[in-house]
Amino acid sequence: MFSVINKLWLMQVCFGGIAILGFSIRSNIRGWKLIFTSLGGAICWGLYLMFLGWSKSLLLSVFLATLSVCLYSEVMGRIYRIPVSVFVICAIIPLVPGSGLYYAMKAYIDGNGMEFMAKMGQTLMIAGTISVAIAVMSSITNLFRSMIRRF
Amino acid sequence: MSEHAINKVAELAIETGRLVLESGGETHRVEEMMHNVCSGFGYPDNESYVTLTGIFLSIKSAAGEVVTLIKRIETFGVDLDKISAVSKLTLDLQKQNCRLKGNKNFVPMSFDDYNRKLELIKFRKPYPVWVKMLCGGITPGFFSLLFGGSWLEFGVAFVMGVYVSIILRLLAFMHLNKFLINAVGAGLIVWFAQMAGLHIGQMNTDKIIIGGIMLLVPGLAITNAIRDTMAGDLVAGTARTVEAIFVAAAIATGAGSMLKLWALLV
Repeated sequence: MFSVINKLWLMQVCFGGIAILGFSIRSNIRGWKLIFTSLGGAICWGLYLMFLGWSKSLLLSVFLATLSVCLYSEVMGRIYRIPVSVFVICAIIPLVPGSGLYYAMKAYIDGNGMEFMAKMGQTLMIAGTISVAIAVMSSITNLFRSMIRRF
Repeated sequence: MSEHAINKVAELAIETGRLVLESGGETHRVEEMMHNVCSGFGYPDNESYVTLTGIFLSIKSAAGEVVTLIKRIETFGVDLDKISAVSKLTLDLQKQNCRLKGNKNFVPMSFDDYNRKLELIKFRKPYPVWVKMLCGGITPGFFSLLFGGSWLEFGVAFVMGVYVSIILRLLAFMHLNKFLINAVGAGLIVWFAQMAGLHIGQMNTDKIIIGGIMLLVPGLAITNAIRDTMAGDLVAGTARTVEAIFVAAAIATGAGSMLKLWALLV
């Protein structure tokens, strides 16, 4: 699992962080929060690559990376008392399947029906996996919070 | 009996909700914040119903007086700074006026104090335009590197991102709807990348286009759709899902028509 950590991986993580920094400034986040949102994006992409190298499964690595980045956002949101969605919105952007959407459209324009179906299916699966991961993590935190309140 | 007039509190609560909803907040958070404002100023008996396009708020005083307000939401933007600032403000209000009531060390937040802070948040200056344009270049540039592009592709994607951000900003003045803006944006991205591929050569235009498309993907809509649905707000969740699907369809339409046009003409 840790065998993917090398110079290339570190560069990818840095690129992910800087890309999300730009995205957060476009979403008008200010001050020290910028550091944590771009760190979220970097963690998301880095963990995705690690899980991908370990499991060789696209959907599982998307699921686990989204799950961990949602956990990170919940912790950060709790510590700094700002809405959790602020962190989640910025952090999941690298995983959103923009490339799949484009490749599917390109295959369709080229008249390659099989390729189009495969890419479109993959895009929808990734989008669904991200949604399920966000849903699971927000349910877990809700459960956790109600348990704390009870005891 | 509260010392604040019931209509003033209702207006203030609905103004708070409007500010957050127009900045792209989740509806269940908006309901929570409005509840905090009303109970913070002495009306714990309140109900609110928030959809993406309107806010309904009803407050009942201890004497049995009822005030109901409806607010239509017209504009949608993304301003995560405003969401977090208002969230912090309402949490402070709730802490000072409800939970620590009677504690000598804490003075309750007054009505004017809250109003002044809300006005400050409302008119807080956004980033200057050139910073946003620059970030519109940084994001596609680094995304194209992230998806396996070279440094040449980074440069082209950077310039393309800045140009597309400027054009989209100009188009926003024309009040086009979301579908058209995203379709035009995706079309411009494909056109610019193909032009660069034709005149500079030696590059993978796909990586540039994907980097540019990441600028438009509906990340906020997906996140809010799921989190709203999980919080039990099915109406807002469905609406956000439809928004996400529409934006994705718009991107696909814009990119696809430009690809086809390019294939026909060149």
